[in-house]
Amino acid sequence: MASHEEDCSPDTLAFMELAIQQAKLAMDSLEVPVGCVIVEDGKVIASGRNRTTETRNATRHAEMEAIDILLEHWQKNGLSKLEVAEKFSNCYLYVTCEPCIMCAAALSILGIKEVCYGCANDKFGGCGSILSLHLGSSEPLKSHGVPQGKGFKCTGGIMASEAVSLLRTFYEQGNPNAPKPHRPLAQQATR
Amino acid sequence: MTQIEIEIEIEIGGKSSTFQTSLPYRPTNNNPLVTLLYQSPHSYILLCLYLCFYYSIQYIHSIFIFHKLIFCVSLYACIVNVFASIIDPKLANTLIRLLNQIAPLENLRHVKRIRKKQLEGGKTELLVILCLASENDSHLDTMQHDVRELFNSYQLSAFITKVCKFPASSKEEWEEQCKLWPTSYHPPTYNIDGITGFNEEDSQSVFSFMRFAVELAKSGDGLVTNAAVIVDPSVKKVIASARDEICSWNIPTNNQTSSFKQPDTCISQSNSNRIIAHDTLPSNGSTSKLKQLCTGASCLYPWRWSEQELYMPNSSCWHPLRHAAIVAIECSAARDRQLFPDLGDNEDKSFELDHMHSSTSSPAKRQNLENVEDTEKLDTLTEGCHSVAARPYLCTGYDIYLVWEPCTMCAMALVHQRIRRIFYAFPNPNAGALGSVHRLQGEKSLNHHYAVFRVLLPEEVLSVEL
Repeated sequence: MASHEEDCSPDTLAFMELAIQQAKLAMDSLEVPVGCVIVEDGKVIASGRNRTTETRNATRHAEMEAIDILLEHWQKNGLSKLEVAEKFSNCYLYVTCEPCIMCAAALSILGIKEVCYGCANDKFGGCGSILSLHLGSSEPLKSHGVPQGKGFKCTGGIMASEAVSLLRTFYEQGNPNAPKPHRPLAQQATR
Repeated sequence: MTQIEIEIEIEIGGKSSTFQTSLPYRPTNNNPLVTLLYQSPHSYILLCLYLCFYYSIQYIHSIFIFHKLIFCVSLYACIVNVFASIIDPKLANTLIRLLNQIAPLENLRHVKRIRKKQLEGGKTELLVILCLASENDSHLDTMQHDVRELFNSYQLSAFITKVCKFPASSKEEWEEQCKLWPTSYHPPTYNIDGITGFNEEDSQSVFSFMRFAVELAKSGDGLVTNAAVIVDPSVKKVIASARDEICSWNIPTNNQTSSFKQPDTCISQSNSNRIIAHDTLPSNGSTSKLKQLCTGASCLYPWRWSEQELYMPNSSCWHPLRHAAIVAIECSAARDRQLFPDLGDNEDKSFELDHMHSSTSSPAKRQNLENVEDTEKLDTLTEGCHSVAARPYLCTGYDIYLVWEPCTMCAMALVHQRIRRIFYAFPNPNAGALGSVHRLQGEKSLNHHYAVFRVLLPEEVLSVEL
């Protein structure tokens, strides 16, 4: 999973740069700065950023926002479920932070083709840090023809330092939306 | 009153004892399994329970027992097979490094790769785990290819051994695990709220809400789906409820969905709303035919969404991720936004039980908060706050009732939303994340931990009476 920026194609870096732009938008709205873009055939077809504070729904991660945009768009265009599944199977996700367990499970359910992420998420990560949902089911064909977890290709460490520094800045300035008692402002760096 | 004869075998510290007892109730739709079984000084013990009839459940691991009620979690095979080999201690470093590269023990991080065994005469031998073995086939040929190469080149001799699938959640459990193969144990840095016991009133309300969830699950047109009911246990009120909406769903208008309860019933403190009375449930007509239709539960087959052609042909909206728990979380967030539109003004009154956030401020405080008594004080405080309309942070302090054990996505969503306790009725062997496939309540790295309870209900409650 380890990857170094030197190995990345210019496209990969460009898409990750767009994801970081999304993370900065989140930061501007006082949200935890995580952003993503979804790419199909070399084109960005959706972007998303964290909206957990605004919605008061802690599941509104950047990935979920972008996925919802696509589902709505494709349904408006009259695509069937099978066609949508086919679409997702050709999509690449670029996200600034490793997808959490929930998002990794969602990406597996949708059957995404590939995920590239920035920094690892050692509290919640579902693509290697805590669980390894990108590997799919560890017990293949356990039950008779019932579809098991789908895996996806996953590459981490792309522009990780930029992603981390956004998060660090956010936490250092203190999360003004965190309920009291929240962490003291600008006293502690996160890790 | 019908009695059920059961035989119980308890294993603590390697000693096992068996005794027989009988349950005062036979579980039926209206009569849940409620009984006095065994009182343990520990709230959490390892125990094997054989229910001789009625249930096909065999080993029940990790059972919580209270003075009036049994709930249990995690009934599933908690053991996996691995290939292991005796190795020359000189090779230990090299082999471990190579093995960690080619066959990392994903999802078995608590299992130690290497084991030192004391032999007679003061000698020791080193054993190392090579890789996972398949469940049924223990032949060496099934070994991962690159591990087999390593195995051949170092002329190792492999055998199958068993290790525990999940990290231990108590010292007693860990000691048991280490008899099988050493694991690492990190004492929980969290406090499992709300499992100090259920009194008669609490257990009645647990069953009422679970029945409500079951009825909701069956309320569709013949298709049983999963259902989720978020409850504020301090006032015994439903905060939000939802069914699976992967096939069709109502687009939220005014930031609320159709299943969102009106705020006045949500905040009203009147007794009539405290417990969902049995007679408010949809009444069952005369039984003519029982029909079992359970495949509609999204959490059971999350990957199947694209195969299901539209169940309701006229619905234009569908969403593969709108499982009941996700929708219920959305409803409770919508309710929160509506009840407390101005976040800033309420900030002073809002309270917070998030140990992670508070813990970062001072280590001493953290110790305090993890103390059970202190948490109970906080809980009491919390209850008091409701009357002055303090806004809970996300779903802190709330319970959720689910008919089926949630899948990984939903279980993690409930971590994010800070649900305090999860009650579910039926396991989800395919995709369940509370013991069946994963066990999120035992992942110590997460910043929030809920307590998980299974409410034993007979499967017949799922039957749709036509």
